[in-house]
Amino acid sequence: MSADQYKVTVAKDLADLIPVFMKNRHKELDSLRVALAAADFEQLRQLGHRMKGVGNSYGFEHVSTLGKYIEDGARSGDRAALQARINEYQDYLSKVQIAYE
Amino acid sequence: MRCLLVDDDEDLRNLLSRYIRGQWPDAQIEAYDPLERDLPDAAFPLKSYDVIILDYMLGRGDGLEWLKALKQRGDCPKILFLTGAGNEIIAVRAMKAGADDYQRKQELTREKLITSLRELTASAVERTVSPDLAARMEGHDLGAKVRIPGIKVLHMIGEGGTARVYLASREDDDEPLVVKILRQEIVLNKKALERFMEEYAMVERIQSRHVARIFSHGNDHNNVYLVMEFFEGGDLSKRLGGKPVPPVEALHFFRELMFALGDIHEKGILHRDLKPQNLMFRRDGTLAIVDFGIAKNIAAADRTGAGEVLGTPRYMSPEQVQGRALDLRTDIYSAGVLLYQMLTGKHMFDGETAMEVAMHHLNTEAPPLPAHLDPYQRLLEKLVEKDRDARFRNADEVIGFLSRKFEQAPPALADKTQPLLH
Repeated sequence: MSADQYKVTVAKDLADLIPVFMKNRHKELDSLRVALAAADFEQLRQLGHRMKGVGNSYGFEHVSTLGKYIEDGARSGDRAALQARINEYQDYLSKVQIAYE
Repeated sequence: MRCLLVDDDEDLRNLLSRYIRGQWPDAQIEAYDPLERDLPDAAFPLKSYDVIILDYMLGRGDGLEWLKALKQRGDCPKILFLTGAGNEIIAVRAMKAGADDYQRKQELTREKLITSLRELTASAVERTVSPDLAARMEGHDLGAKVRIPGIKVLHMIGEGGTARVYLASREDDDEPLVVKILRQEIVLNKKALERFMEEYAMVERIQSRHVARIFSHGNDHNNVYLVMEFFEGGDLSKRLGGKPVPPVEALHFFRELMFALGDIHEKGILHRDLKPQNLMFRRDGTLAIVDFGIAKNIAAADRTGAGEVLGTPRYMSPEQVQGRALDLRTDIYSAGVLLYQMLTGKHMFDGETAMEVAMHHLNTEAPPLPAHLDPYQRLLEKLVEKDRDARFRNADEVIGFLSRKFEQAPPALADKTQPLLH
């Protein structure tokens, strides 16, 4: 991923919502890991769907993109691809830089 | 404003509440988490709300079922239903079940939410209605009045200069469709009406998978309409979102566009108004051209096109700016301008006025692509030559060039940014 993809711009008046948003993303990451370990593809699909819906809304396009991949991967039951996307999500959450405008 | 917000996602509830309070600081919003609470029962005071925002995916339970149950009650306020993007059949079902509006969740912006809520609560919240809002409400009312055999018109989803656009569905199977209803000022303008009907006749004649399918047309109490294919993938403008797309993906879209142009040119038709808003994507990623409102039969364009300037300045060919007779190469130029925009995320020419932009097409050399896009420079130059004799002559020539110089790649490779060169 290029450095630019880790940069996110969020509207200033949403700044106070971001800590909860990020906390929920980390919880989501944990849930994804648990679901993959249990091969619970329905849970993975739902989590991916939720990421897809919420990411763009806050300006985190990559969360939505990964959500779509996870939703698709869950539908096809592709464990290796799902593992790769979950790792990518972890990397993203650890490096994302948020600017407020 | 009192709003009941039903969504299982805490972040969405927080965000939508913030948007609403930004517009109506005194708004009273009840966040309703369906993971913790059941469907509101008969004792729940629905009547005390001006509007309900209801999500489709409720974590447990189906938003459509909740919608039906709520709408069965006599005291149910207006409902804004949130659907997943690219799943219009759910929107169709929601509107049929009584939703008063729908929005695609992934694309829901502050502006879209406020516009929708203003429309839904206009009578309850605002004493006066702005002219803009009044016009949109008139559009919604019109859609509800028009009767088309076998088709249910559900909801206005867009407005253009010539027509209002509605989501509709086929009554037999809920297949999502689009209905375009011509504005009355166009119906009363003989030339404009002829142009609209020509669009229908031409598109019907084309029969290509790269062109929007038209299912029927007609007139209901002086409301002239077309029934056409619905595109779940949205348009190129939405895909771009002001940003470049990876080169492999841009080239894939461009190749699809060339196939589309090949098909319409073969039928003797010039589009003359290619722009991102006129390139639509189906769910499977295939691309189709829409809006043939100013398209013209090639023979007619050659014979009578001189002096008439139509099209969108950002994508106009030099000969179009000059009002000269046009041929296939005008669409090739416009496609080149689109390719530039897809690759760079920028318009080829900017200006303070439409005229200034148009004059750049006539007099200013296209800016070179950034260094990392060098492999596409020659292609672009041959597409946007000012002298049309030096340009590619037709879509087949462009496709041949693409085949020789670039290896075709499916959109699945979209996240790879390097072109595949022989």
